[in-house]
Amino acid sequence: MSMNEFDDMRLRDRIAANPRPALFWLVGALVLIALELGRIADGVLRLGGAMGLMVDMVVTIPSSVRGAVASSFGTGAGIAAFVVTAFILLGIVAIIVKWLFIPWSLVDRLGIDVSTGREDILERLLVTGLLAIVAAALVWTPVGGLFEMLIGVLTRGVEAVGSLTTITSREIIPNQGYQLPDGSWEGTFLGLSPAWAWALRVLVVYAYALTWLAWLWKGYEIFREHYREADWTPRDDSINRLRTHYWGVFGFVVVFMFVVMALWAPAVSPVTAEKNLYSPYEHEIQYQGDDGVESITHGDANMNSRSRGGDQNVGLMSYDDYDRFHPFGTNADGKDLFTFLAYGAQVSLVIGLLATVLMAVIATVLALITAYYKGVADLLAIIASDSVIALPRLLLVLLLSVLFMQANHPIAEIYNGGLLLALIFAGTGWPLLWRSVRGPALQVSEQEWIDAAKSYGQSPTATMRKHMSPYIAGYMLIYASLSLGGVIIGVAALSFLGFGVQAPTPEWGRAVFEGKSFVSTSSWHVATLPGLLVVFLVTGFNALGDGIRDAIDPQSDSGDGSAAAATGGGG
Amino acid sequence: MSQNALETGTAEADVDTDSHQDSDVMVEIRDLRTYYEGDGLLGGTPVKAVDGVSFDIKRGETLGLVGESGCGKSTLGRTLIQLESATGGEIRFDGTDITTLSGADLKDWRRNAQMVFQDPDSSLNDRMTIGEIVREPLDVHSWKTPRERRQHVKELLDTVGLQREHYYRYPHQFSGGQRQRIGIARTLTLEPEFIVLDEPVSALDVSVQAEVINLLEDLQEEFGLTYLFIAHDLSVVRHICDRVAVMYLGNIMEIGPTEELFSNPANPYTHSLLSAIPEPDPTAHKDRITLQGTPPSPRFPPSGCPFSTRCPARIRPPEYQDLDNELWHQLDTLREVLRERDRTEKTVTDRIRELLGKEPHFGTIDEIYAELFDDQEVPPAVEEVLDDAAELARGGNEQAALDLLGAEFGSVCEGHVPDGANEANDTDAEESVEPDYHVVSPSGRRSLCHRHDADADYRKPEHVLDDRHR
Repeated sequence: MSMNEFDDMRLRDRIAANPRPALFWLVGALVLIALELGRIADGVLRLGGAMGLMVDMVVTIPSSVRGAVASSFGTGAGIAAFVVTAFILLGIVAIIVKWLFIPWSLVDRLGIDVSTGREDILERLLVTGLLAIVAAALVWTPVGGLFEMLIGVLTRGVEAVGSLTTITSREIIPNQGYQLPDGSWEGTFLGLSPAWAWALRVLVVYAYALTWLAWLWKGYEIFREHYREADWTPRDDSINRLRTHYWGVFGFVVVFMFVVMALWAPAVSPVTAEKNLYSPYEHEIQYQGDDGVESITHGDANMNSRSRGGDQNVGLMSYDDYDRFHPFGTNADGKDLFTFLAYGAQVSLVIGLLATVLMAVIATVLALITAYYKGVADLLAIIASDSVIALPRLLLVLLLSVLFMQANHPIAEIYNGGLLLALIFAGTGWPLLWRSVRGPALQVSEQEWIDAAKSYGQSPTATMRKHMSPYIAGYMLIYASLSLGGVIIGVAALSFLGFGVQAPTPEWGRAVFEGKSFVSTSSWHVATLPGLLVVFLVTGFNALGDGIRDAIDPQSDSGDGSAAAATGGGG
Repeated sequence: MSQNALETGTAEADVDTDSHQDSDVMVEIRDLRTYYEGDGLLGGTPVKAVDGVSFDIKRGETLGLVGESGCGKSTLGRTLIQLESATGGEIRFDGTDITTLSGADLKDWRRNAQMVFQDPDSSLNDRMTIGEIVREPLDVHSWKTPRERRQHVKELLDTVGLQREHYYRYPHQFSGGQRQRIGIARTLTLEPEFIVLDEPVSALDVSVQAEVINLLEDLQEEFGLTYLFIAHDLSVVRHICDRVAVMYLGNIMEIGPTEELFSNPANPYTHSLLSAIPEPDPTAHKDRITLQGTPPSPRFPPSGCPFSTRCPARIRPPEYQDLDNELWHQLDTLREVLRERDRTEKTVTDRIRELLGKEPHFGTIDEIYAELFDDQEVPPAVEEVLDDAAELARGGNEQAALDLLGAEFGSVCEGHVPDGANEANDTDAEESVEPDYHVVSPSGRRSLCHRHDADADYRKPEHVLDDRHR
């Protein structure tokens, strides 16, 4: 039976049997990647840098523990503490490495015969041992130097790629120039005015992002038509429901615009953050002064184009005295507000996503464990979460962030306190998420298929992953998207109070804070626009969460949607 | 109610002679107990869901397990495949005591015993395709290669009367009967020898029930399976089972060949259970034995015989032998009412009413007495006991009243030592007497009832029931 032959193939085989549609899609995707290769390489480099920083920090933990212990308990204890800490860290890494990279079982390969419960532990010990050997080799043998060289070469390679121009780069569509006395523009794209050049670049960015979106959708359709085994899956219905859920679509559009703005912040902002925000006195611009073309640093130019109410104002969609275009005007320091907000979106997105993902992971794992084992595990989790919930969240967040910042803790330095904020929000937010999915988790744990899985010997972790987590993933997605808005508001609120992300890193809450005294003046835009953006974005996330919820679970139609949105929004 | 050593010994001796007769025993269950711990962290009185059962399951047979809801039959089935861990006793599966297995040994053993669940809506994970569901046991046990697994699953779908193309469908695209077939296919993947069928057709349409039952019978023939068939539908049990075990309150009351047990039941409980089967012939005359009261809580089972509180053929003390049946019925009702009152938690308002000297909600003792005994001729000896009991009950001490009534009207069934043995064995006077299993037919059918005791001179249950209820 030909149907049967088709059935037994894996996705790879099915693509090999009918490669044309897949190739077609792949070529398109490659073209899209090539257009923005430089920016992608740049992103990879930054991600790699962040990871390198994290690795560096983790690596210093055993030594610092040794130092701390040795100073109070002596050298021997210090060395012991060093070994124990290093072992624990390697063990954690081993679990991740095993999960990601080693699909087969080392224990089986080596032919060691142990009982199932011990097999996992032995497996992890083996991986830990291998990692320890690798780590020792890196530290004490020339292999380490070789490795570093390799990383260096790799980094330089990516850097070279990163310097390639892309279609959205400001070299291709420059918007910084000066107006000659005859009214024509020098230095801008095709002699257009900076406003039009900027608008064109933003248009190109969004067009590119939309093309990607459309192409991914096309890819999904190709997969569905040519390669998927089943004619229909429940997910098809979910997607159809989401497409006709206009409130959810609105949310998706808002979130999409926000994410694109964050990812392409250097492209959509009229001027780069490096020149305008971080080191304004080290970069110069040219403008048409009284005596022909003159040069001035960004910093000096900013000083003369501040928006402080009254006559001192550069409002929406206007030029300052130095022929610079400001779509959202300038802020109280004369910095371009749109640039500030675009880069601020990046910060908000990173903190929000990091905090939410951490929260969701903690809550999901806890919900699965407590629902599967019940009893004491459940009770402990309830006590822990109640203890956290009992404290007012914003006060707790405030306390922790002030504490860490005053102590100049190394974590508080990273991303100008951004990482610290993400961790604090995750640490105080997981109980709410856990509470929201505990009910569904308990419900699914009572299903007979859980018993069935146990009856044929499925392991508890696999049971939780395969038979329970899909049922709470939907809820988690919704509540996480709702709480993402809460985290963004929370970060903005903290920054508004002066305890969040520190200057000069741009952040929306700080923009509101800095503009609050000019709300009633001609410079109303400084505080109002960022405030509106926060409201808009959080509404967008809530709408998207509503849409996804209704799409996944049609029974829970929007009746209680407003309540969920209200609870999710309270940062 | 744990059996004391002597009785366990006799019970085991009985079973052992059984197994010698038929050497092909697959599962031996000895004094199995499964208790659920109390809700509190510190325990409390456990619920005795399965309270000391012993029987054998022979290779290739279908053993039916019947009983009313909550009698522990599902728990027994779940314990047999180690979904619940036994509190005590042994389950010897081909000689291995599986209650002691753990880790890899237990996982290995699980291939031999599988379970078909009651609710086809809940036993299949809706987010997985049929193929994934049926294949999962093979994946868990790393059976051969993935390709062979898929092939095997498709053959199985064929075997249970589905189509190979259904591999990529989702459970909600199927009807209840088809879903149950999928569940059966899943239990067959590991080629087990023993399958527990936990009410496999009770959630299905009557028309579909027959199809699934026939499928199960065909599969048994094809693969030589051994079934434990848990059900409360007695006609289905009569159709499919070779032997039947009747359970009540965590105990097996009677176990033996199906036809014999159905046509000539020995145990009073079996009698009353069978009398509840509706007769298709409307002209047929049949006396239904209606049991008094509700089943006792498995947390606090009665002492003596588990069925003693409701038994229609309970042994009556000789000194009251000539009391009227009607009066006995009223006396039993009175004790049931007192037990209910004793068990009922008094609410705050009830307590306040009591303090204020008002009647509690459930009526006074005098009302109850009036209702029960007003149109009865009560002999003076009984009257005296009843008055004493009423006095105790009026003081709110239902338990003392019950003890008094029990001492007077109770018998060996309720654990009271018969008068003759009382002096001879004084130390055991506090210990309650429990019934033994007695072989009641040449086929080795066993029943748990004092009335089968050949040494004591009791009448047979069927005669007593004829007298009292027909």
